[in-house]
Amino acid sequence: MEAAGREVLRGAVRGQWRDLTVASALASAHQVGETLVPVLIGVTIDRAVGAGDGRALLLWLGALAAVYLALSWGYRWGAYRGERAAARAARDLRTALVTRVLDPRGGAEDGRLPGALAGIATEDARRVGYVNVAIMAGAAALVAIGLGTVLLLRMSVPLGLVVLLGTPPLLWAGHLLSRPLERRSAAERERSAHASAVAADLARGLRVLKGIGAEGAAARRYRATSGGALAATLRATRAEAGQEGAVLALTGVFIAVVALVGGRLAAAGELTLGQLVAAVGLALLLLGPFSVLAWVNAQLAQGRASAARVGAVLAAPAAVQGGDAPLPQPVGGAVRLRGVTYGPLRGLDLDVPAGQIVGVVAGGADAAALLDLLGRTADPAEGDVELDGTPLRGLHPAAVRAAVLVAAHEADLFAGTVAADVAAAARGADTGPALRAAGADGLDGATGDGGGALSGGQRQRVALARALAADAPVLVLHDPTTAVDAVTEARVAAGVRALRAGRTTVLVATSPALLAITDRVVLVEDGRVAADSSHADLARGHDGYRTAVLS
Amino acid sequence: MTAAEPAAPAARELLPVADARGVRALLGELARPHRRLAAAAVLTLTAATAIGLLTAPLVGRIVDLVADHRPAGDLTPIAAGLAAVALAQGAATAAGLALMSRLGETLLARLRERFVDRALHLPLADVERAGTGDLTARVTGDVAVIAEAVREALPALVRSVLAVALTLGALALLDWRFLLAALAAVPVQVYTARWYVRRAIPLYAEQRVVEGTMQQQLLDSIGGGATVRAFGLGERHTGLVTDRADAVRDYTMRGIRLALRFYSRLHVAEFTGLAAVLATGYLLVGHGAASIGTATAAALYFHNLFEPMNTVIGLLDDAQSAGAGLARLAGVAGLPAPAPRPAPESADRTVRVTALEHAYEPGRPVLHGVDLRVGAGERVALVGASGAGKTTLAKIIAGVQPPAAGRVALGGDVGLVSQEVHVFAGGLAADLRLAREGAADADLRAALARVGALEWAEALPDGLATVVGDGGHRLTGAQAQQLALARLVLADPAVAILDEATAEAGSAGARALERAAAGALDGRTALVVAHRLTQAAAADRVIVMDGGRIVESGTHDGLRAAGGVYAALWHAWSGTRETSAIRPDPAA
Repeated sequence: MEAAGREVLRGAVRGQWRDLTVASALASAHQVGETLVPVLIGVTIDRAVGAGDGRALLLWLGALAAVYLALSWGYRWGAYRGERAAARAARDLRTALVTRVLDPRGGAEDGRLPGALAGIATEDARRVGYVNVAIMAGAAALVAIGLGTVLLLRMSVPLGLVVLLGTPPLLWAGHLLSRPLERRSAAERERSAHASAVAADLARGLRVLKGIGAEGAAARRYRATSGGALAATLRATRAEAGQEGAVLALTGVFIAVVALVGGRLAAAGELTLGQLVAAVGLALLLLGPFSVLAWVNAQLAQGRASAARVGAVLAAPAAVQGGDAPLPQPVGGAVRLRGVTYGPLRGLDLDVPAGQIVGVVAGGADAAALLDLLGRTADPAEGDVELDGTPLRGLHPAAVRAAVLVAAHEADLFAGTVAADVAAAARGADTGPALRAAGADGLDGATGDGGGALSGGQRQRVALARALAADAPVLVLHDPTTAVDAVTEARVAAGVRALRAGRTTVLVATSPALLAITDRVVLVEDGRVAADSSHADLARGHDGYRTAVLS
Repeated sequence: MTAAEPAAPAARELLPVADARGVRALLGELARPHRRLAAAAVLTLTAATAIGLLTAPLVGRIVDLVADHRPAGDLTPIAAGLAAVALAQGAATAAGLALMSRLGETLLARLRERFVDRALHLPLADVERAGTGDLTARVTGDVAVIAEAVREALPALVRSVLAVALTLGALALLDWRFLLAALAAVPVQVYTARWYVRRAIPLYAEQRVVEGTMQQQLLDSIGGGATVRAFGLGERHTGLVTDRADAVRDYTMRGIRLALRFYSRLHVAEFTGLAAVLATGYLLVGHGAASIGTATAAALYFHNLFEPMNTVIGLLDDAQSAGAGLARLAGVAGLPAPAPRPAPESADRTVRVTALEHAYEPGRPVLHGVDLRVGAGERVALVGASGAGKTTLAKIIAGVQPPAAGRVALGGDVGLVSQEVHVFAGGLAADLRLAREGAADADLRAALARVGALEWAEALPDGLATVVGDGGHRLTGAQAQQLALARLVLADPAVAILDEATAEAGSAGARALERAAAGALDGRTALVVAHRLTQAAAADRVIVMDGGRIVESGTHDGLRAAGGVYAALWHAWSGTRETSAIRPDPAA
């Protein structure tokens, strides 16, 4: 994964090389200007103010104006190109990440929560992109330090050495002071982030709290969390304030040393007054580029860590390997499992002729394994799943899913409107019949995030309508009506029957209302077929079936 | 929630937002106990800034001594003075910043605590009208913006304002004409600040919206990845994310362009002021009104002014967004303290509902004159199609939704468990103790055992101490619902209402949940909104609702025999005519 991360970082910089080159050149020009300002102040005091020369004043103020123009312009366009490189690189990484996650072969989500993946696509992508800005700033800082060095050494070698050799240890001391603090304060900051998470969690559970009258208890709990976070934050801020004070004091003492050495050299006539003023100014100013280098270092470290996370997702192995053949057309819709062993399934044989509506009654693990195989999100360890006689493992996953739609029980609705969600699956076909069959007609308006604006039953009916609207040659529905009331469920079952007449449909469910509309029902127990008959026959004569379905 | 409820009206009536006076009143109230701290913080930081200003005249003094050709040894005490100034400034700054942070962080903590307290006590109907999103956005987004401001912007702002004010004062002390020269930059700065704030606030607000939209789209597409693949919607969703990512890139660049134009203008201000100060130095030194050292000090002062000045102007927009966030927090936090829950009218453990009417939207009534009596300890099942008004009736009886007309008389306290489950982030035991503070471990175990959850709860990695919920151990839907029922047992209300509390589980889990629900309801007066008819069959009485009215009421057997709506339902649900053979065992 290290290598993948390095490749991501290299790509993010290489892809923006044009912007980055221009940005570095212009930002360097800006830094040169900033460095020249105190020099020009010194020169102006020397040649114009001290010498009482009006022409010199105009001349040097003109020079100052020219420098300001250059530094302002360099900053404006340099920073623009640098930031543009960062924003573009981040955008490209986001697109690449989403493309990888949504790839038909899957595998990128394994072991990662959606929130974490979204975080990688926002924050980590941003940080990797921002490496462009860090490189620009680093290049400009090096130029500024180089220029400052030349100027100082030209004025006076000893004074120049004091400034140049003194600055890095000064910054290093500041760094040493802050390092243990950084770790501690990061941990303590986390507690205040935790307080905010607790508050949001309580707000999300508000209905539950109201239901049992626990508002007071929750508010008291939050007060304790918030108080603990405050104590931790105060410890961190005290330490940070101490560190800031210490750095300020160190810097001031350093300036005192520069002023003393410079003053003595000036008194000895080795330095003009203007050079003394400029040297003090430069000593203060060079702290900037040196600390920029430290900042660049931190940004690069962050960028590397982020790039490793991005790279790990991009290089994640696919969940299903191999199989690139397109689907033989037209799709008949005959599905067959032959001696399939996978997860809890033990040599399962299942035959669904084209056009039949078959119910499958199976336990949770058996059902999940069956759904994985039918949608080719996994391949069986032994045996084959066939569509019209072609093994699925030889077909491209996208081709399989164009023919076999597996509508999972925990189907996610997408944010937007009910109509848009169903229409996206229908690909231009009329969604009316599907909406009516699923009892979802009349549900209009927004779905909310993840369907949050709808009740559980409404979500299920919309998800069912969407699955029906896709009009797949083979449709596999898993527990599509568990949150639907009995009245509606009976209507929905009849609707599914009518709409899917003559099209292969597998209902993995235990609801008697749904199973009653199937052509036949297969009972799977312990990974094998335990019974295969009509719902009516099984309900009358099979004890295992009665326990599974009717109790 | 049933289909009769509004799904998501376009314009939501948001939670209250405070005006400037409300914000001031609340902040004043929160700050009153900390007046001394505030005074100490401002005084210490003022002292620190004032000490720092001694640096420039001391450097100027060195210049003067050199210009006067004084012996090099005279410089040493001045340099020592510079070092002493540095140490004193460092110490005072550390103390001042610590005090300022203590003040800011304490106020922030009190504000968020007050906000959460008031928010949790808001009437549920108000929150639902506004959407829980508004509440969570305030409690996370607005609190974070203000915390950021307290942490980063407040100290920087206070220090910069002090630095600017005192530096200008010091310039005046050197010579009032230097102050006048320095003020030459002010018109440009004022113009730039106004120009910037006017553009920055709406732009950054839009930028945050665009970023939020992208984040939401990422969560939507990635979270629904399995569905995207199943439906072959990969290209569509990649396109949606790419559009949002493009928008973020474009808005980021718009923000950058604005900030860069802003700094260009500030460069003009810097040059104007600096040139004026240098020219003034030239004139004053020329007329013998100031020494070169004084002119040097003035120029250094002004050069040092750039940074704090730019900081102040750059923070104006942060200050404004923090102000907007503050107004949203104060809108809720400034509400009066919550009144205690009204005591039940009697203790006879009955429920009496009289002539109940309700409509979420005018002209679309969902309940029509519902009358209902539930006897002490009776278990009543509510059955009906979506939109029949079951959930609304349940919510009104539970007291979380005020009715439009009619009244509800309760003979005891009431608890509601809905199909909306939420596992509170934190330890499992802590989650349960929300229902009964200070409950002993044995009580928690007893409650879990009563809903059949003790076994899996004790099998969790850390038992009852296992962290569950967001970021913790993930519970299944059925486990989360059992937890909700265990909370009900601990809250121990006389009247319990279950609204489709077994819905989220798959069909296999539903039976286990029905047993759990039966355990939780034992000994309580209960109203159960059921969609699995086994629940209805196990109840003492079944009430069938349709179109906001009660259309049938009776025992399971009685209604089945009566051949009405319920009998037809039972037939459709069981899917077979052999009704006698599948009469469920109520104890199962």
